[in-house]
Amino acid sequence: MRRLPPPSLPALCVLLALPISLTAADSRPLSFVNDVVPILTKAGCNSGACHAKAVIGQRGFRLSLLGFEPQEDYEHIVKEARGRRVFPPAPEQSLLLLKGANQVPHGGGEKLTPGSENYQTLVRWIGQGMPYQAAGQPALAGLEVEPKRLAMKMGTTQSLRVTARYDNGTTRDVTHLALYEANAPEMAEVGESGQVKTKDLPGNVAVMVRYGGKVSVFSISIPLGAPVDKLPPAKNFIDELVFANLKAIGVPPSAPCDDATFLRRASLDIAGRLPTLEETQAFLASNAPDKREQAIETLLASPDYADAFANKWTALLKNKREDAADITANFAFHSWVRDGMLANKPYDEMVRQILAATGTIVANPAVAWYKRVKEPNAQLEDVAQLFLGVRMQCAQCHHHPFERWSQDDYYSMAAFFSQVGRKPTAIAGEDLIFHKRGVAQIENKRTRAMVKPAGLGQGAQEIAPDDDPRLRLADWMADTSNPFFAKALVNRYWKHFFKRGLVEPEDDLRDTNPPTNPELLDALAAHFVQSGFDLKELVRTLTRSQTYQLSSVPNEHNLVDVQNFSRFYPKRMQAEVLLDALDSFAGSKSEFADLPPGTRAIALPDNSYNSASLFLKVFGRPESASVCECERAQSSSLAQSLHLMNSAEVKGKIAVAGGRADRLSKPGVTAEAAVEELYLAAFSRQPDAEERRIATAHLASPDARKQAFEDLVWALLNTKEFLYNH
Amino acid sequence: MQIGLTGFASLGWPGLLKLRAENALKPASERTAVIMVWLPGGLSHIDSYDPKPEIGSEYRGPFKTISTKVPGTIFTELLPRHAAIADKFTLLRSMNQKAGGHPAGSMQMLSGDADERDKPKPRLPDWMSVANYLRAQDGPRANPLPNYVGVNPPLEYNGPAYLGNAWSPFSVTDDPNRPNFAVPNIGLTDPAETRRLGDRVALRKNLDRLERAFDRENELLALDEFERQAMTLLTNPQTRDAFDIGKEDAKTRDRYGRNRWGQQLLLARRLVEAGVDIVTSSLSGPLCGRVNNWDDHAVNHHIFEALRFRMGNYDQAVTALIEDIYARGLDKRVLVVVTGEFGRTPKISFDRSTGAGDASAPAGTVQPGRDHWPRAFSNIWAGGGLQTGGVIGATDKRGEDVIERPCGPGDFLATIYHHLGIDSSKVTINDFNGRPTPIVDQGKPIPELIA
Repeated sequence: MRRLPPPSLPALCVLLALPISLTAADSRPLSFVNDVVPILTKAGCNSGACHAKAVIGQRGFRLSLLGFEPQEDYEHIVKEARGRRVFPPAPEQSLLLLKGANQVPHGGGEKLTPGSENYQTLVRWIGQGMPYQAAGQPALAGLEVEPKRLAMKMGTTQSLRVTARYDNGTTRDVTHLALYEANAPEMAEVGESGQVKTKDLPGNVAVMVRYGGKVSVFSISIPLGAPVDKLPPAKNFIDELVFANLKAIGVPPSAPCDDATFLRRASLDIAGRLPTLEETQAFLASNAPDKREQAIETLLASPDYADAFANKWTALLKNKREDAADITANFAFHSWVRDGMLANKPYDEMVRQILAATGTIVANPAVAWYKRVKEPNAQLEDVAQLFLGVRMQCAQCHHHPFERWSQDDYYSMAAFFSQVGRKPTAIAGEDLIFHKRGVAQIENKRTRAMVKPAGLGQGAQEIAPDDDPRLRLADWMADTSNPFFAKALVNRYWKHFFKRGLVEPEDDLRDTNPPTNPELLDALAAHFVQSGFDLKELVRTLTRSQTYQLSSVPNEHNLVDVQNFSRFYPKRMQAEVLLDALDSFAGSKSEFADLPPGTRAIALPDNSYNSASLFLKVFGRPESASVCECERAQSSSLAQSLHLMNSAEVKGKIAVAGGRADRLSKPGVTAEAAVEELYLAAFSRQPDAEERRIATAHLASPDARKQAFEDLVWALLNTKEFLYNH
Repeated sequence: MQIGLTGFASLGWPGLLKLRAENALKPASERTAVIMVWLPGGLSHIDSYDPKPEIGSEYRGPFKTISTKVPGTIFTELLPRHAAIADKFTLLRSMNQKAGGHPAGSMQMLSGDADERDKPKPRLPDWMSVANYLRAQDGPRANPLPNYVGVNPPLEYNGPAYLGNAWSPFSVTDDPNRPNFAVPNIGLTDPAETRRLGDRVALRKNLDRLERAFDRENELLALDEFERQAMTLLTNPQTRDAFDIGKEDAKTRDRYGRNRWGQQLLLARRLVEAGVDIVTSSLSGPLCGRVNNWDDHAVNHHIFEALRFRMGNYDQAVTALIEDIYARGLDKRVLVVVTGEFGRTPKISFDRSTGAGDASAPAGTVQPGRDHWPRAFSNIWAGGGLQTGGVIGATDKRGEDVIERPCGPGDFLATIYHHLGIDSSKVTINDFNGRPTPIVDQGKPIPELIA
């Protein structure tokens, strides 16, 4: 349950009454670390686009990103360029200030206002002889933002107060020096000095507060405040937690969806295809009280489930055709993943088999991952993002700006992959992967120190030279107490079914990007761990929930809801699914090289088919180049509309001999029966009276009958009801 | 329409606000445009815009030099029409980049990727996709034509990368010089077909029931908008006209040259005139010679025969475009830039031909060629409100290295962005990992090349 304190004046008064210590007294000895770097950070001097630009800085003046390496910055400001950047006899004539205040031409414009408090601090620091950090000066120990959590109405404001806590027990108000960023800027924005303003969307949003390399979070709950008196019955713990949140923010959920919508939705999400005509008719006719649960079981048991999820995973695992000779390895790896899905191999086991793969592609297809992801850096980055939901890329070159991860954390993870051995095999391009005996360690490229393997946030492991460190990594990941592994997966799957992750982006789990419903993410992760990392059980739990089965049609209140799952958010079908749906509706077939006729797009083993299929390309089938699902373009485009409306490919499918339009236009089928079949095939539902009337009227038009049917097929497949899973 | 922003790619917030604010001030008719003429494979700078008549014959090549309308500037005899209008463009002789392969070289120039190694797909979006994406953030387009059209565009070593396919060009890949040239998917010519499509759309609208479930992110609205645009492209006479090169008078068509390149560039001009913002056109194919591009290694072409074979059409088409831009008063709004991914080795190399064809002797015959040369090459700039007629930068006596005003890919890109009203020093776009990536990592608009 979410419990948030109501916004109350007394709380504010308490805040304002806090003692303010360490204010700028002119006599206080300043330190570069505590006083100067934060000013440079706040002014944006050390942002990635300015002087912290990788390797080169800007115009010969280089700072570390966000001041994470103060010692280097000190060198560059005080000693580099023959010390001309600072001039203690006349501090205001220092180049640092002249440039910063744009008094001599500065590409970045005026970043410091002469006379401002920050400007004066720099003047005094230079005047004091540019002390770095005197012995005994306090070091920053932590950061506190107040309030921490608050329910804020739409369109209201709230001032934050940020306090830096030092290791000698002193504190300092750094509200004006901290950096602020909301994780959902469409819901709340934050001004330069911590003024939070909510907009007109209900839900939960987090404001990340950064200062001196420390981060803190202010969580806002923005209620809509509508009455939530009628809730559909909860079917499992998902519903209890989703509905509790909806009650808390006052967003009433939509009604449960009808049977037709459910069947179409679940078939597309679980099996990546439309229901067949027969399935639809049987489902609609059934009176079994548990027919939805039954349908879920049937879909989960079908090979189509394995096709759909093998398609999802092989793209993320970079099963990419770069050379014609890759075909063997790619087919083998795809089959391996698909077999695992079919047999419902526990997720932790699948990941372990990939991470610790040894042998050849023929004997053990899981080694294919090591063919695509070759270097320890890439291996750790992919593993962290894909399996742990942690983006470590930033930490290769600098401390992660939004995170606690340092370069040591980065290289410690990489060290797990330091003993991966390769040997060429008889098959060109395919290496034998093995464990190279030796002590697992890798060099931190900045400090040049060797680091031992360590899981994120864990101590270094001593691993015997005979032990494969990758097994230790897999052990740590699959340990039931691992804070990332299960959460990352359930969040990824939640997004698959609900369009939006509980954390967005789905592979960016961090303290400063909290879930919109933390209790739900925890409960899902716990359930997944308890089930023995059972993927089918997870899908079952998600799709059985009332939340998944809510209608996408908004009620009078919840159209504005975009993150609380008060209704089902319609999703455009993915490229492969749409192509298959089109074929199944039009009664046509697509053909793919080297694959038996009738192979569906969802069952394609790798990305190589994209180049031959304009359809897959235009609708954004990924090239398996990234571990991020965002590689799959889900946005619509002009080219897509043109393709659906007027491409020779789609027109050909609609008009294909023996296809649905052709068949229904033959004598012997009544217009009424034909329209009914079209609706069942496209939308898994019966047409209503108005639709029957419009459609049959069109079929009765003087145009040739086959052409009239083609028109109707065209019109139905171009509807949003067809293109979307809703 | 709010597309793009909600997805994986988003502008740095301040950058976006600034961009919007700047663009909001400009009426649509003043939206600047760019035509980039791309020479895939790389034009030999020493045989064209940067001749070295004093150097030995192992470098020089057979071409004489000619004086130009700009006193003191000389070209080779392959460019007489350029020489005659040398006051109408600025020549940059000091472009250089760091990658010797076609993929990496193209990526350096088009996307600013500093990686010197060749890779099959670009890591960063090319400037065209970026500009297309950024322009779309201004709001819906009043003009029925797409923002970005490729007239036989370079597609091999560039692309929208993490921006996604939605920002690819609307591509014309046919030969506009073909007698019955028509752009597929544009302007249905058969009235019956147009009527039928209209009927189908009407039927679709009658039957579409999901309209009620509009989501807040306006995704479905975007879909409607794209359908409307597609319908316009398909049926609007204005868009059909823009692509209908037959509407140009015969004299103009002749002036560009009655060949694929000439008509490509004429179509490019026609499109910017009709309101397209970004046009790229790659001069490739059989007009280049045997291997269909400018990659004049001795194994591919006899370079000097190849240049004789192709430069007449090139000279004519490019100068026609430049003159036309001025003649039609498009010279403030439209920037024309012509470049390849690199130049070619000043020192001539000899090797055996790998096959006979246009500009190549039979297999086994030793013939001259030049190889890849990213260390120094030329590009030309016209229109864009520039003060033209100058030469920027210089190479050494052999044309091997830049000795004056070195300019790199970042400068190239920043200059183009500047013309499009995009401050490339401020805009970042989030990549697949959510890392804000600057659209130009290093580089500044070249002062002489901005208005």
